[in-house]
Amino acid sequence: MVNEFIIEANNLFKSFGDFVAVDNLNLKIKKGEVFGFLGPNGAGKTTSIKMMVGLLRPTGGQILVDGKDIANADRLKIGICPQDIVLWESLTCKESLKFMGEMYEVPDDQLETRVESLLEDLILMDKANTLVSNLSGGMKRRLNLAMALIHSPEIVVLDEPSEGLDPQSRRVLWNFIRSLRDKEGKTVILTTHLMDEADGLSDRIAIIDHGKLLRLDTPKNLKKEFGEGDIVEIHLADSKMNQEVISKLKTMETIDSVTEVDGKINIRTLNAVGKLPGIMSNVKDMNTEIADLSLHPNTLEDVFIELTGTSLRE
Amino acid sequence: MKFISVAIKDFKELIRDRRGLFMILLFPMFFMIIFGIVYGNMGQTNETYNLAVVNLDEGAKMPLTNEKVNFGDNLTEIFRDVEYEDSDVKLFNVIDTSESSANKLIQLKEADVMIVIPKNFSQTTVDKMEDSITAQTTGTTSSYNNSNNDTLKLIISGDSSSMGFGVSQVVLIKIIDEYQDNLVVNIQSQASGSSVEPLKLFEGDVESVSGTESFSQFDFLAPGMMLFAILLLATTVAASLTKEVEKGTLARLRISKMRSFDMLFGALIPWSVVAAIQVLILLTVSLIMGFNWQGGLNSILLAMFIGVIGGVGSIALGMIIASFAKNDTQAFNLGIMVVVPTSFVVGAFFQLPLVVIGEIMGRSFQIYDVLPWTHILNALKSVLIYGNGLSAITYDLAWSAVLTTIIFIVGMVLFSRFRLSAEN
Ligand SMILES: Nc1ncnc2c1ncn2[C@@H]1O[C@H](COP(=O)(O)OP(=O)(O)OP(=O)(O)O)[C@@H](O)[C@H]1O
Ligand SMILES: [Mg+2]
Repeated sequence: MVNEFIIEANNLFKSFGDFVAVDNLNLKIKKGEVFGFLGPNGAGKTTSIKMMVGLLRPTGGQILVDGKDIANADRLKIGICPQDIVLWESLTCKESLKFMGEMYEVPDDQLETRVESLLEDLILMDKANTLVSNLSGGMKRRLNLAMALIHSPEIVVLDEPSEGLDPQSRRVLWNFIRSLRDKEGKTVILTTHLMDEADGLSDRIAIIDHGKLLRLDTPKNLKKEFGEGDIVEIHLADSKMNQEVISKLKTMETIDSVTEVDGKINIRTLNAVGKLPGIMSNVKDMNTEIADLSLHPNTLEDVFIELTGTSLRE
Repeated sequence: MKFISVAIKDFKELIRDRRGLFMILLFPMFFMIIFGIVYGNMGQTNETYNLAVVNLDEGAKMPLTNEKVNFGDNLTEIFRDVEYEDSDVKLFNVIDTSESSANKLIQLKEADVMIVIPKNFSQTTVDKMEDSITAQTTGTTSSYNNSNNDTLKLIISGDSSSMGFGVSQVVLIKIIDEYQDNLVVNIQSQASGSSVEPLKLFEGDVESVSGTESFSQFDFLAPGMMLFAILLLATTVAASLTKEVEKGTLARLRISKMRSFDMLFGALIPWSVVAAIQVLILLTVSLIMGFNWQGGLNSILLAMFIGVIGGVGSIALGMIIASFAKNDTQAFNLGIMVVVPTSFVVGAFFQLPLVVIGEIMGRSFQIYDVLPWTHILNALKSVLIYGNGLSAITYDLAWSAVLTTIIFIVGMVLFSRFRLSAEN
C-alpha cells in the first residue's frame, strides 16, 4: 500500500568516528499514529530522530518522508521539539512563535490564530508577553513544544517532551498529544523515559538499545510477549540464596519465567494470587526467609528492563 | 520577506541585551581614547619636510609699471621661508629641481612632496591683474580663483600614503591660498591707485602657517585606527552568529524555510546600524581627542558614510568567520586572527611597501586593493586628512562596494554550506 507509512528508515546507520550510534535501523511509521521510541540513555534515540527530521546526515541508509528522500522532503511537513530547550532568550513567548511561523512562511492571518491557540493549549497565555529568559523551566519546555507546531506540521517529533514537567502539565501534554492525533490526524513520534506515558499514549512502540531495534509492536503485544498477567517480586532476607530459589521455582510448571532483577526474584505468571501459596511453600522448603513480597500487574517497564537489562549506561 | 523578520528579531536581541550592546558601542570609544592619548602628543616635533619645487615659471611684465616679475620664484622663496606656527623650525627644505628628478626624489622618498609651478604662472597672474583693473573700472569684479580662460594649476603630488605628504599637502594648499589672497589685495590696491610703489611681492608675508602647530601623528593615524575598530566589528558579528549555532536555535531555523540569504541579509541590517553608531562614536571621540580634520562638516558626514560601507564589509567578514567557528570563543579568536593581519595589510597602522599588480582605469592596482578596507582607508584619509569631497573618492567607494558585495556572497555560500546544511 502506498503511503501507509509516512516515515521509513531503511538500514539507517550512523557512526561518530569508530562509535556506532545507530546500527542498521529499519522502521516504518504509520500515518496518524503515535509512535513511541524507547531506549536507555545513549541508545541512539535522539540521533535517529535528528536523522529523521534532516538535521543530521546518516552515515548510511535512507530516510523517506511520504515516499520522498528527506533531503527533498517538504519542510513544512515536519516539526521537531528538541530534547534540549532551544529558544531565543530575549524574545517573548509570542514573539518567538511569530518569528518561527514567519520562518515557515505561515500566512499572517493564520499565524495570528495559531499563536493564540498554541499559547492557549499549552497554558502559556499569561506569559505571552514575558521574555523567555524569565520563564520557569516547565514553561520553557511547553514553549519549546509549541515552537515545533507553529507551522502545523503533519509529522510531530517530540524528543522527551515531558521531561521537567509537573504532573499537571504532563496531563495537559498527554491530552494535547492525543488531540494532535485524534482531532488533527497528525503523526507523532515520541521519545520518553516514562513507561506509563509510552504505554498510555503510543499506538506502537519501538525499543532500541545500542543503536539496534530490539522490538517494535503495540504496547499490548509487547506486554503479552513477556507474559501476560502479573509480576511477583520476592525479596529474600538472604539474597545469596536467590539462585537456588530461582532454580527451584523454575521447576514449577505454572510459572512463565523467573529472573533476578536488582537482587530480587522476579516471577512472571498469570493469576499470581492463586499461585502465591505454591510459590511460598516452595520458598519455605529452601529454609529461607522472605523479607518482602509484592505483586503487581505486568508493566511496560518490566518489558523494558527485561529487554535492555538493568545495568546503568555511562 | 523573511529577512525582515530576521532583522527585526536580531534588532530585538541586540537592544534587549543591554550589557552586550553597551560593550559593543563602548569598545571603539575606549579604543580611540587610548590611541588619542598615545599619539595625540606625538609628532609635534615640527619636522621639516623635503619639498621638490619644479619652477617652470617664465616670468612676466607688470601691466602698469612694466616691471619684470616672476611670481614662481617669489612663491618658491616663500616656501623656503615659512615656519611652523609658534616655532622657528622651517616647514620645508626646498629642493629646486626638474620635473623628472622630482618624481625620482619622491620615489626614493628623498622628497615628501613636489610642486610644479607652470610656465605661464606669472603671465596668467598678470593677465588676471589687467582683467581686474578693467573690471574695477567697469564695476565688476573677477576673482583670482575662478578665472575661466586660462586655468592656473599648481600641481602638488607625492606618495599619498606617507604622512609627510599629508602634512605638506595641507600646508602647501594653505600657503598658496594665502598667497592668492595677498595677490588679490595687492592687485586691488594697485588698481585703486592707492599704492604707487612697485609690488615688492610679499616677502615674509607668509612666515608661519596657522594651524600647523597642532598637527600630530594622531591626525594621520586616526583614520587607520577608525578602520581597525570598524574591522573589529567582524569579530563581534561572528560571535553573535556563532551564538545561534551554539545554542541550537540555528538548528530550528535550518529545517525551516529560512535560507542563508534571509539569515545573513537580515543580520546585516541591524549590524549596519551598529556600524554607523560605532563610526559616529569613533569620529566624535577622535575629535574630542584633538583630531584635526579638513573639509568641515561635510567631511564628517562623508566619513560616516564611508565608515558604514567599511562596517558592512566587516559584517560580511564576520559571516565568513562564523562559518568556521563553533562557539563564541572560537569566533573571537579566529576573528582576531583574521582582523589583525587584515588591518596590517590594508595599512591601518602604517603603509606596507607598494605591490602593484596591474592597472585599472588608469590607476595602479595593488595587491592590497583586493580588500575593500584598503579603499575604505584611502577614502577616509582623502576625506579627513585632505578635505576632499565625494567626487575624489568615488573610485575607492565603488571598489569597496563591489568587494564588500563579493565578500558577502562568499560569506553566504560558506554559511549555507557549513552551517545550514545537515550536520555530519
Ligand atoms: N555528535 C556526536 N559525536 C559523538 N558521539 C555522539 C554524538 N551525538 C551522539 N553521540 C553518541 O551517540 C550515542 C547516542 O546518543 P543519543 O543522543 O542518540 O542517545 P539517546 O538515546 O537520545 O539518549 P538519552 O535518552 O540520554 O537522550 C551516545 O553514546 C552519544 O554519546
Ligand atoms: Mg536523547
